[in-house]
Amino acid sequence: MNSQIFHPFVLPFVLGMAFVLTYCVVGLLRVIGQLPKDDRKKFWRSLVTPKTAWANVRDLVGDCLFHVKIWKRNPVLGYMHTAIAFGWFMIIVIGHVMLFTLKPLEGIELQGVERTLPNFYYPIFFKYFAEETLIFAILMDFFLLMIISGILIAVVKKIHSKIVGVKRIMHFGFADNLIRFALWTIFPFRLIAEKTNIMAFWWLYSIDLMVFMFMLPFTRYMHIPTEALFILLRHAGLKPREPRKGYALAQIYSCPSCGLCIDACPMSVNDKNSGNTSAYFMKRLRNGDREEAQRIAETCMQCGKCVAVCPVSIESCDIKMSQREAVPYTINSDHSYLGNVEPETKGNAKVLYFAGCMTQLTPKIMRAMKQIMEAAGEKYAFLDKDGGVCCGRPMLLSGKTAEAQAMMAKNTELIKQSGAKRLVLSCPICYKVFKEEYQLEGIEILHHTQYIDELIKRGKLKVDKNDVNYVYHDPCELGRAFGVYDEPREVIENIGHLRKAKSEKELSTCCGGSLGSFILTQQERDEITTNSVNDLIFNNPDEIVTACPLCLKTFARKSPVAVKDIAEVVANQLK
Amino acid sequence: MKENILIIGGGAAGMEAATQLHKMGLNPIIVEKSEALGGHIAQWDRLFPAFHPAKDVVEKMLDQVKGIDVRLNTEVVDIHRDNNSFHAILSNNETIDAKAVILATGFDIFKAERKQEYGYGIYNNVMTSVELEKYFRTGKDERINHPKKIGFVHCVGARDVKVCNTYCSKVCCTTALKQACEIKEVFPDAEVYTFYMDLRMFGPGYEDLYLKTQKDFDVKCVRGRVCEVSEDMDGKLVIKAEDTLFGKPLKMTLDLLVLMCSMEKNKSIDAIQQKLGVGNNSDGFMQNKDMYLGMNDTAQDGVFVAGACTAPKSLPDTIGEARSVATQVYNYLKR
Repeated sequence: MNSQIFHPFVLPFVLGMAFVLTYCVVGLLRVIGQLPKDDRKKFWRSLVTPKTAWANVRDLVGDCLFHVKIWKRNPVLGYMHTAIAFGWFMIIVIGHVMLFTLKPLEGIELQGVERTLPNFYYPIFFKYFAEETLIFAILMDFFLLMIISGILIAVVKKIHSKIVGVKRIMHFGFADNLIRFALWTIFPFRLIAEKTNIMAFWWLYSIDLMVFMFMLPFTRYMHIPTEALFILLRHAGLKPREPRKGYALAQIYSCPSCGLCIDACPMSVNDKNSGNTSAYFMKRLRNGDREEAQRIAETCMQCGKCVAVCPVSIESCDIKMSQREAVPYTINSDHSYLGNVEPETKGNAKVLYFAGCMTQLTPKIMRAMKQIMEAAGEKYAFLDKDGGVCCGRPMLLSGKTAEAQAMMAKNTELIKQSGAKRLVLSCPICYKVFKEEYQLEGIEILHHTQYIDELIKRGKLKVDKNDVNYVYHDPCELGRAFGVYDEPREVIENIGHLRKAKSEKELSTCCGGSLGSFILTQQERDEITTNSVNDLIFNNPDEIVTACPLCLKTFARKSPVAVKDIAEVVANQLK
Repeated sequence: MKENILIIGGGAAGMEAATQLHKMGLNPIIVEKSEALGGHIAQWDRLFPAFHPAKDVVEKMLDQVKGIDVRLNTEVVDIHRDNNSFHAILSNNETIDAKAVILATGFDIFKAERKQEYGYGIYNNVMTSVELEKYFRTGKDERINHPKKIGFVHCVGARDVKVCNTYCSKVCCTTALKQACEIKEVFPDAEVYTFYMDLRMFGPGYEDLYLKTQKDFDVKCVRGRVCEVSEDMDGKLVIKAEDTLFGKPLKMTLDLLVLMCSMEKNKSIDAIQQKLGVGNNSDGFMQNKDMYLGMNDTAQDGVFVAGACTAPKSLPDTIGEARSVATQVYNYLKR
């Protein structure tokens, strides 16, 4: 035991700690300062609203401390991360607890600065300065060994990631590799220093901590302090408005570059494209590489699978959209035709059917919907039988909001004129924009899967069950976007047998036809489609059923089995 | 020298190659999966550019192959190579030993259902170019009922990245104009439109046919693709297209729509082709050694290709290739 209150080797650590704390305070003020006024108000309010405050506490403990989402995704990685992060957290906590239990050092009268000074570094270098009681010593060693076991898994993951169930890992630059090396060596150095008390190791331990803390703001480890802020902002219900400011900035720094989205991204079937995944997008934004970020934002298909698997719940699709919006639109589009569009509907329809451009190109779906509505005895009308106006989503996806607004205004006018109280859509691409962007108070918006399910349940539609084995593909914008997973499956159970796909529901793979991407070549899309088809036919179904005209057209090109829309299959089984 | 040459496919390429090899004193054996020789061309009524009856050509070819070994209703089910000879097992359990193999397996017609937006198999009055040709031959088709307004859609399944076929199918442009004239002959007061991207009039007399189509037959050629087809209350077809020369979208009601379906690789031969070690090119057709001096050769010695199995080809192209493959095989055996 060294009965002293100071040794110069603590200085590197103290410097690093001072730096990182200052940086975090400045960063926090910057993020909050960049929030638009109404967002900031929302944020303050969310902190005191019981519901969001509870969600904050739940997620701060669940996500920041115990990493529940990683455990769910991959238990080995869950253990790895918890061992390192929670273990580290615990030795810091125990260090501080020990500080309180510490009796005044024998024979030394502490006064003024001398009394408070040790508080800053004692918990970190405790064993050098004071003696632990047995129970604390055991606890400390336990957590230290836990951390080192986590680091061992991390080393294995780095060398051969497939052992821990990860196909592709992130590739890092010099800074990220250096700080990771510092992180990995901190704890072994501490262990050796504590057990041998060799001064060189205390120095190495302290310098490692300094390196880690000085580099932290400039590397992925910034996610450690930022995630807490991000959780609070997320629960306040904010949306990223600018790709590198305010809420988006908090998200950028919260991305731990874990790379779980790389394997999840449908584009990764081609290794060349794994650099276009969200993890790299966030990294580019963090580094301020706007050009590359823009390119990735435009390559992305916006299927949302990266958001579904993200252990931090980073809303990368929204940030990519705000990145797209940041680029000025140079083409003047002519929307004068909108004035000439006349309503085609007659006044007494209860249900309005909007096919949309994609369903116009798949007339079998339209015909099937007509048969279904006739069979159910519905009073219906087609909103766009003879043309009609685009729902506006392609324009929104390109970040051209004003152009989209013009179309949406016209459609809103046509729908309200019709007097119908329900709007049925066949295309999830349209469904998303009608649900999220249109102001259609008093009008119920349904996708045809929900509508058909309801007609069957209410007994309005009678169907026969046949012996065909179907597999259902969840379209991204119906499944992940709105959680419509059960209705289509229940419809299929009514008309045949449902088989499972290899990955489905929120892990369903994009068909590859997405309107979201501007850059992917047809060949790259075809690879994605083939991969997605293979996922679907995993359990040898007779037919693939989907609920999106674009998925239907895309799969039909590559599928060895028949691909049909759910409406078609139902129409064939009408009694 | 009376060596066996196995020719897979008894269409124009297979028949012509067999004829030439037979004249050279070799022993060609044609294996044809259908019940008759002649391939696609035997289903055709008249040939472009001069409206020559296809029957004439087919009959002459059939005449020439008299005395040549032909197996009809037969397919090659297995093949393997043993040094310089090939052993093929046929579906009739016969085994053929041959010194060389010629793949003359031709093409398949693009399935028009795959372009659902054109409504084939959904609306009554949409038909394919092949079915129209059959109508010219037989005079019978329920869909053709004194149409007043007829449209032809070019490039169905060709130059279309959305169906994974980026290549030009070569013969459909001229065929569309030929068929447009012919339908006009049958229904002189009908209005006939063709919707094209480019008109590729690449051969002798083809450009003249194009002028004749417009001047003598008053067919209106519109530069632009049809994007979608629907049906109105009376069962007539409503098409939406773009006239790219005027830069305007257009909408038209038609009584009959003919889809000019492209050629696609004949996939029924895939397994045998794989066993022979012959790959495909980026268009999905068979890969020949090179497109100039090695157009009949493949990566494998002794395995040759002729006709539309390597790319869409017209009848004159195919006959030319069939003759050249005979020379290549002859030289190969003599080396």
